[in-house]
Formats: sequence, C-alpha cells, structure tokens
Amino acid sequence: MPEYTDDELVLLFRDAAKRHYAFNLLVRKHQEKIYYFVRRMVVDHDDADDVVQNIFIKVWNNLDSFREDSKLFTWLYRIAVNESLSFLKSKQLRSYLSLSSPEAMMVKSLRDDNYFDGTEIQRRLREAIIRLPKKQQLVFNMRYYDNVSYEQMSEILSTSVGALKASYHFAVKKIEDFVTAN
Amino acid sequence: MKLKQYISNPPSDKEKLPSVLEELKKEVQGLKIPDGYFDSLSPRIVDRIKKQENRTFIKSIILAFRKPLVWAPVMATLVVAVLLIFMIPAKKASTIPVTDEWTELNMAYDASYAEEVFLAESHSIDKEIESKDINYSEPVSLTGQNGPTTEEIAKYLKEHEFDADLLNEY
Repeated sequence: MPEYTDDELVLLFRDAAKRHYAFNLLVRKHQEKIYYFVRRMVVDHDDADDVVQNIFIKVWNNLDSFREDSKLFTWLYRIAVNESLSFLKSKQLRSYLSLSSPEAMMVKSLRDDNYFDGTEIQRRLREAIIRLPKKQQLVFNMRYYDNVSYEQMSEILSTSVGALKASYHFAVKKIEDFVTAN
Repeated sequence: MKLKQYISNPPSDKEKLPSVLEELKKEVQGLKIPDGYFDSLSPRIVDRIKKQENRTFIKSIILAFRKPLVWAPVMATLVVAVLLIFMIPAKKASTIPVTDEWTELNMAYDASYAEEVFLAESHSIDKEIESKDINYSEPVSLTGQNGPTTEEIAKYLKEHEFDADLLNEY
C-alpha cells in the first residue's frame, strides 16, 4: 500500500473521484493508534469498536472542512477524545439507572474483559488508570502510551502545558501507589 | 497549593517514571483483538457511511415534504381527485327498454331467445306494413288525430310570411 503523508491524504480526499480511496488509506494509517487510545479509555473491545467507527465516520463527514491550521493527527485525536468522553458520559448515565457507580462498572468491565490476556500487574495498572478522573486518564494515556508531546496535548485538550504536566505528575503518583499497594 | 506550584513550575519534559511503570511500559499491554479486526474495520466503516448517505437522502425528501410549499399543492390535488372520483354522480343510462320484462327474463336464461323474439317482432311489423295500404302522398297528421294537418300548418306559415323553404317542407 502506498505511503502518503497526512497532507497528501487530505488533498486526495478532496478529489471526489479519489475520496473513498483516500479515506481507506487514512483509516488504515491511523486505525491502530486511535483504536488503542479508545480501548484504554472505554475498556471493552466491542465498545471501542463502536467508538472507533463513530470517530472515522465523523472524519468522513468533516474532513472537507478541516482547516489545516493543526496537524491531521491532532485533529483526529481531538475527535477521538470527544467521542470517548461522550461514550463514557452516556455509560455513566446508564450506570445511575443500575444503581452502581460508573467506576465500579468500568472495573467490572475490566475484570470481565475477554480480550485481555495480560499479567495481573498489567490488569492492576489498567484498573489504576480507570480510577483516575477522566481528563487525568486522557493525559496519562496520551503521554505514557503514545508519547504525545505536551504542546500537542495542549492543542488537543485546550489546556495549558503547565496544567497538563501537573496533571500527569499526579496521575503517575496515584497509579504508582495503587499498583504497589496490594 | 501543590497543584498551583506545579503549574507555575512544571517538571521538565524528561520526567522520571517510577521503576514499576517504566518496566510495564516496555511490556506488551495485554490488549487482544479479534483476528482480522483491523483488516475488516475500514470496509465496515465505509458500509455504515453508505447507509448513512441513503438515510440522509430519504430524510431530505421527507423534510422537503414538510414544507407547506410542497405538501399543500400535493394535498390539494389529492383532495380534488378524490372529490372528482366519488362525489360527481354517475349518469343514469336513459334508454328505452327494447324488450319487455318477460323477454328479458328469458334472455337471461337463453340468449338465442332474444334473437327469436326480435325476428318474430320484426316479422309481425313487416306483415302489418304489407297489409296496410299507406299512401305517402296523403297529408298525415304529425301530432295525432287532434293535431293540425299539414295544410293547416302551411296556411299558417304563409299567413305569417315565413320563409319559402320552410313552406316547401310541407
């Protein structure tokens, strides 16, 4: 499969005759990173699949109006963040109906996840991350797993670099305490 | 207080992670996916997009019909059509029965009977005509025995100075 830069993919997408081809390449280029980012947030594979599809459908609907004042991947990440948070919010509302806390539901999902074959300590790490506040989770996942720079993160989350660094620092502390505690 | 301190003096980019997290970072995360998941993801997304586009098209037609400028004339046409079909009374057939009730009844069972009756009737009419000695030159009362004769009509027309062509008809 030919390798195109993100800018080239955007140009290709704007050609009506090559739109589907460009979109296919774009999905294949970014799907893994987006999938794992979402999966870490929503835990369950089937939920992650739904959210990822929604993300790329939004990309299809809005790529024409992508202004290119930010990088494509930053824009994609921003959509992924919004979709993941919307999904978690709706899940949270459903958890109120079932009289259990959202956190408890996520931990239960994690323990029941059939698509996880990591070690016990890896499971504890995931549990520690799930227990963080949502925005702190985002910051930690992007920095720890995806090595996203604070400047890029600042663009994605519309938060200052200083606040992001502080958030990451506290997240690391909490996770370390949880993982090493038991 | 601590948060403010960190925001104003944030740690450097090369922050040091606790050893347990450093070790975990190197390992595979343990997140499994179904076989062929990423190969099938793009085609599934494209399918959803196509369904979405079809729904959008149908929705746009429905939305167009919600506009009064579109649905009002359509409804008016439908109402008029219904009225035309059901409200206008059907024309009654104004025909003089050719056959009497008894013949009609028999025709219902045997159509050939109608033909026989017709022939019999026409035969009797012919006979009647043959037996009578009709003089076509004689004045005939057009309106029956009590009505004016042709001579009377001609006289009347003459007196009132009607057109000569009209007189010649009589």
